Parts: sequence; C-alpha cells; structure tokens
Amino acid sequence: MLDESDVRDVLDAALGTGGEWAEIYAERRDATAISIDDHRIEELTSGRDQGAGIRIVKGGQSAYAYTNILTRQSLLDAAKTAAAALQGDRKVSIVDLTRAIAPVTHSVLRSPSSVSKADKVAAARAAEEAAWAVGGDVRQVAASYSDVVQRIFLANSLGHLSDETRTRTRLVCQVVAARDGIVQTGFEGPGGSLGAELLDLHPPDSVGRQAAERAVRLLDSVPSPAGEMTVVLNAGGGGVLFHEACGHGLEADSIVKDTTVYAKRKGQLVGSTLVNGVDDATVVNGWGSFGFDDEGAQAQRTVLFDAGVQTGEMSDRISAARLGVTPSGNGRRQSYAHLPIPRMTNSYILPGESDPKLILADVKHGLYAEGLGGGEVNPATGDFVFGITEAYLIENGELTRRVRGANLIGNGPVALSQIDAVGSDFDSKEGMCGKDGQWVPVGLGTPTLRIAKLTVGGTE
Amino acid sequence: MTEQPAAEHASAEHASTELLALATRVVSQARSGEDVEAFAIHSISTSVSVFEQEIEKLSSSQTRGVGVRVVVDGRLGFASTADLSDEGLSYALAEARSNAEFATQDVGNVLPDPEPLTALPGIFLPGLDEVPTARKVELALALERATTGQDGRVRGVDNAAYGDGVTRAAIASSRGVSASYARTDVYAWVSALARDGEETQTGLGLTQGRSFDELDIEAAALEAVRRCTRLLGARKAATAKVPVVFDPLVTASFLGVLASPLTAEAAQKGRSLFADKVGQQVAATTLSLVDDGRLLAGPAAGPFDDEGVPTRRTELISNGVLQGFLHNTQTAARSGAGQRSTGNASRAGHKSSPGISPTNLFFDGPTTAAASIVGGITDGLYVQDVAGIHSGVNPVSGEFSVGATGMWIRGGELAEPVREVTVSSTIVDILTAITLLGDDRRFYPFGGSLAGATMLIAEMTVGGA
Repeated sequence: MLDESDVRDVLDAALGTGGEWAEIYAERRDATAISIDDHRIEELTSGRDQGAGIRIVKGGQSAYAYTNILTRQSLLDAAKTAAAALQGDRKVSIVDLTRAIAPVTHSVLRSPSSVSKADKVAAARAAEEAAWAVGGDVRQVAASYSDVVQRIFLANSLGHLSDETRTRTRLVCQVVAARDGIVQTGFEGPGGSLGAELLDLHPPDSVGRQAAERAVRLLDSVPSPAGEMTVVLNAGGGGVLFHEACGHGLEADSIVKDTTVYAKRKGQLVGSTLVNGVDDATVVNGWGSFGFDDEGAQAQRTVLFDAGVQTGEMSDRISAARLGVTPSGNGRRQSYAHLPIPRMTNSYILPGESDPKLILADVKHGLYAEGLGGGEVNPATGDFVFGITEAYLIENGELTRRVRGANLIGNGPVALSQIDAVGSDFDSKEGMCGKDGQWVPVGLGTPTLRIAKLTVGGTE
Repeated sequence: MTEQPAAEHASAEHASTELLALATRVVSQARSGEDVEAFAIHSISTSVSVFEQEIEKLSSSQTRGVGVRVVVDGRLGFASTADLSDEGLSYALAEARSNAEFATQDVGNVLPDPEPLTALPGIFLPGLDEVPTARKVELALALERATTGQDGRVRGVDNAAYGDGVTRAAIASSRGVSASYARTDVYAWVSALARDGEETQTGLGLTQGRSFDELDIEAAALEAVRRCTRLLGARKAATAKVPVVFDPLVTASFLGVLASPLTAEAAQKGRSLFADKVGQQVAATTLSLVDDGRLLAGPAAGPFDDEGVPTRRTELISNGVLQGFLHNTQTAARSGAGQRSTGNASRAGHKSSPGISPTNLFFDGPTTAAASIVGGITDGLYVQDVAGIHSGVNPVSGEFSVGATGMWIRGGELAEPVREVTVSSTIVDILTAITLLGDDRRFYPFGGSLAGATMLIAEMTVGGA
C-alpha cells in the first residue's frame, strides 16, 4: 500500500521534534451493506475507503494527524503537522524496519469480491422470507448482510513493519412478533472473520427462521417472578455479562485511571475457582480476531482469570507502559481516523467439567436465561443491570414456564464469585462494542454457567 | 494585508473548483435513462486539547471523498470512494449503478432539479491555512491560563480546547445541478472546575467564529469561571411547581431534542410527536420556531444543502401553530401535494447518502431583555445545565424529564445554587408555556447549530429531595 522508503521518511519527519516513537497506520477498506426492512431494500451501499494516520508519542502526550490522500507529500505534511505539537529537539532515530509475521492466519475461502451482489442480496432476502414464513404473529422483519475487506499496513520507529488483510462477513435478522398486545423481539446475527462461507455455516433461511421462532415463542410467556434466586445462563448467553461487567473493567486504560472495581485486585481471588476467563484474538476466523492489533502487536491470548484469580489485563502500548507491563495486543481502532485504545477482542469464559444437563438438575427454584439483551454497568462499583431476552423458570430441576420481562441485577466480581457450576459446552456470539465513540467487532462466549444467587428483577 | 487574503481566497476558490470538476467528471459518464449525482467533499481540520499547560492531544486531518447516487426507474443506488483516481471514481459509479439494480422502487427516489443559487461569501474567511499549529496550541494554553487565573475557587480545568475546520463541498448531477462552496469554522472552549472542599462544579465557556482572530478567549474564560463558581454550595431543593428559566445553553439542548421529530423522515415513519399535528397549536401564540440555512450568524450557514438545493428560511412553528417539517428531496416527493425540499438534505461526509437535519435552528418572536427575565420572578428555578437529555426525553411520546443544576430565584434575584433536581413536563407543554424569550440569542455548535436564548417557562415540575 505504501512505499517503504516513503514510510521511513514520514517516520523520520514525525520524530523531528522530540517524539519518543512514531507510527504510521494505513488502511484500505472495501465494504458492502445491504439491509431489508419491511420487504423493502432500505440500504444497498458500497464504499471504498482509504487513509493513513500518523501518531507521535511522548510520555502521556499523543499527537495524531490523518489523511485519506495517500501521496508521499500528503503523508509528510501530516507528519510535520503532528510533530509541530511537541516543539522539542530530535531525541531518537528509526530502528531498521523488519517485517513481522502474524502468529495466526484467518483463512478466507470465498472472498466477498468473488461473490456477486445478487447472491449477497439473495442471502438477506432468504433470511427475511424464512422469518415471514414462520407465521401470522410476525409483524416486522429486518434482515441485513454486510461484508468488509480491510487491508492494513503498519510501521513504527521501533522497527515494526507488517501488513494484513482482514475479511469480515455478517448476516443479521431481527424480528418483531405481536399477539394480544404483547410485543416480543427475536435476534440472530452470526458473523466471523470469514468470507461468504459464513452463509454455508449459517444458512440464511435458518438464521431468519430462528430469529422469528424466538420472537413468536416469547409471546407464550408469563411475566417473570422477582427476587433472589439461582440463575443458569445457557452456553453463549453469559457472554454479554462477562464482556460488560468484567471485560471493560480489565481494559488497562481504566485501570490506569483507577476508575474500575478491578483496578487494584490483580493477583487476588475475585471469581469462583471454577472461573477461567480469557481474551483471545487468535481464535481462528473469530469475529473479534486479527493477526496484529492496530498498533502492530501480535494477536495473543491473555488470561484474565485463572481459577478465579485475576491475572491479567488488556492493554495497548501506552497503557502498558503506564502499568509497567508488556502490551497484550489489545490496541484497537475503528479506522485510520482514530487513535488506538485498549479494547477486547474475543472475551470468553472457558468450558469447565460439568454436564450442562446436570447443572439444571440440582436447581429447585431458579431462572434459566437463554440470552441477555442490553445492560448498564457502573464501572467504579461493578454494579450491573441486564435485560433477559428469553428465559424459563426452573422448578425441581426442570424447565417449566417461559417468562418475559426479567432483568438480572448484581455486581460483576460478586457474580463471578457466585458461579458454582461451569458446563463442558461452549458457544459464542458476535457483537459491536462502542467505547469513546469508536466501534469495533467483538466476540462473546461462555459455557453453561450457574450463578448460585442473583437478584432477578421481574414484573411480578 | 489586502494582498495575501485575496490570494488565499483565490486558492480556496481554486480548490472548490477542482472538487466540482471531479464531481462533473463522474456525472459526465451518465447513460441515457439514468440520473447520476456526485457529491465531493474536502475537509481540513485541527483540534488541540490541553491540560495543566501541556498538550494532552493534538489531532489534525485532511480527508476528501466522493459519494455517487444513481437513479434508474425509481431505483436508487449509492456508493462512495476515498480513492479519487480514475479507477476509484469508476468503481464508485459502477457500484452505485449495480446497487440501483437491486434497490426497491420508490416515488421518493428522485434527484433534485437545479435551482438558482446565491452565494454566501461570509461563511469563508481567508487566512486559517496560514495560522501555524503552534499558534493554535498557544491559544488553547492561553485559554487555560486565563481560566485558572481569575478566581481563587477555580482550581483548574477539565479540558481547554481549540478546533478549526476548512470544508469545501461540490455537487454535480446529470439533471444540471453544479455548485460548490467553502466554509471555515473556528472555535475554542473550556470546562472550568471550581472546588470547595469535596464539592466540584464545572462551567463551560465557548467562543467561535469564522477566522482565528475572531476568537475571544478572555470572554470564554470569564464565562466558564462565572458558570462554575456560582454553583458552589449547591444543595438539593424541595419539590415544587414553579416558573423555570432556561439558560441559553439549556434552550439549545432543548432545541436539540426537537430536531429529530421535526424532520419529515421521523414524521413519515411515525416516530415524531408532531406527526399528526400540522395546523394545530403546539406552542405559545407569541412563539415561532425557525430553521434558516442562510443566517450568517449560525455555524451551519451554507448556500445549498447536501443535494444542491438552495438553503432558505423555513418557519416550522408560526405563532404557535405547527406549519410542517424539514424535508429533503426524497421526503418531499413521498409527501406529494406539491411539497418541495426545504433545503435540509444532510450527509455525514461523503460516505452516506442524504438524510435530513436542521441547519441553524432558533426560536423567534418578540424578545425581552434577557437580564430582566429573572427580575420578574419571585420564586422559581434558573436551570444552568441539564443532564440525561437523551435518555430522559422521548421524541415520540413527548415526555420530558431531565436532571438539572442551577440556582433558585428569590425576589427577582439568583439566590442559592441547587443540584440533583429534576425538571419535568412534556415537550408541547413546555413549548406552550414559553412566555418570555430573551434577546440574547447565540448559536452553539454542539450537535448541530442550535440557538440558545434565555427563556421563561411559566411552570414546570421541579423534583427535589
């Protein structure tokens, strides 16, 4: 994408005023987005974006200049503009650039560029039609297909040089069902660091049907009871909870600022000894995976909880330096127009040894949650509230009535410590995570989990 | 002095002309039976934020790109590119064409016909390109010093920042639209922190203009200091139904809530509390609500909107009666009945097709000296800041309940500061109860271009401890 000698000159210009290190991140991105809402194609757009950002770091200061004009002169101008922020004398020179090799590759079988637009539209249509076909209670169906091929070039004055192509494809179906004044929604949204083979792994008609069946199923439900009880989260269902109530608190920028309940607990037993949690950018073809992070660190697997002990955090270069640790490869950015910050990749609680069926069998009275919706977390205290999208009552070890309108209310570290069974199964979901105005794809995954005591907020 | 700005101006015009040439190049490839439009934009911006006399963050950018719309037989396709080589432009046109093939037919999928345009030369002031980055940094540092040096209770700033932008836009279409303009924006703001024991209060100071030299950092610093120090000692208040005075900043936030429900897009999709109220009284009979894209005092001023339709003055509410909505070409065509675009097509850069947003939005009507409004109130609340305006206001039902900080008004004077109170009502009840509009209109560039002015709302519920 960029000429290596130009890159050297740009980094050299960036360091002219006393920067400790400098970096150039360049990308080119081809994207397609198709969305169907209420039988109409609401959006069908294609975009080609390109650009480069030059960052100069000195202590806690960052100067950043970006441009989408990728000429040598434009990049040199950007470097000089950013350098003007520091107003010192040159301190360091560039280390020879050495091309780095990614520790993992995410192979793509059918690149988006090899698939016709008609086939992409057909995939969204198939999901939509299968959802409508579920029946008369289905009132609204929205289906979308999106793909992006992102080529990234990264070099810094510390000697790093790499390039990488990231491909991501996702299919989403959202359904609203209604009957007798009760309105429920269903959602399915598989995605991965994959090409069109995603559509073979997750056939669009079954994605649409599952979303619609869930929405319709929820119509036959009774309002949820409230109170403290045992809560079982199905495989994959607890991922949002782990991401929001634990993951964000383990991002190193909030640890540096001491704004999280996890800030001073490294090395302590925080969760139950059954809990092993990781953030893993090396999951092959995972939605939140990559080869290098967005500042050139190799993708890696970071252990966050080892048998309940808080062992690690997710850092970028700057926050790692502040904490005196090695960067964990979690520096991510939305695009060349953004500075990298610590972010999760695929954050998982790992499978344990319990048979998922037996986890239920021991529960006299509790709630089984199939999936969690949106929630809110107070980072300073770890307190959380999450909506549940689909849940059942557990009575004497059996799932009985389907319930709606339930919330989970609790505290991140406390809930982790209350986990008394971890299933041998595992499932993951895909999401988009927003932080400081930047959106990045993240994977969320858990086995079946049982939390001995948690407050369920219901309507009865 | 006269020579350099003239040369600068000429080069700015040259850049806009080049952008228009690019758009025209795309449009010239239109085939018979299709309409093609190209929107090109080029922006250069700088932002600096400082803390404790050090640069915390400096960001500078230069970006450009083209968005292409193709309409064939009532089907519309869109594609964008930041690659402005011949290959990049051909890609965008070919993609827009192929996207149109698959799109759903809609009566709203039309491109506007050209209309006579009048330039607005005042929106571009030359010289910004010549200001070195170091001077911009120095301005932010000076703003922080000016803020912390005035009052012993001001212990520092949360942030002092400078920002500017030079935007050039051009649009061409096969229907004959062909136009370009350039605009400059410069602003600086500071959030001051006043401390007394455990208590911390913040206050915002803002200055803006079209050229670097128009910024008045002394005034911004004074404003920030006055706003944070007068809140020190704030306590909770008792629950009451009283007259409420909105600070100009709060009025601007309130207008921000009205922006979306006043678009035809929201009305047509049933997502607006105003959807079925055209012709009805929705506000006090002395009050009008105006969107004016040609008002030079407003940051959003421009000669035409993001699909080349001339901007204009639109009265959304006249003497309390709802007149209609803000339109782009698509919603106007969907409305039928001779509705025309109001010149409010708006894009988030070149990567998106046009939606709708207000330009410069403000309340209009007979005004009162702002300083005298509080003087007429024996017992009431002056609201300086509101919190939770996005979660606390429902643009469909019109419910309005937000957290507020300010001062109690006693005997026509600002008295003790109050915090952690809520003010609640409904949007239409607030509009109807606006009995006095201050003469201190001033535009804020946050979330659009929204005009603040001191306002008296005859009664609201203030929820306290």
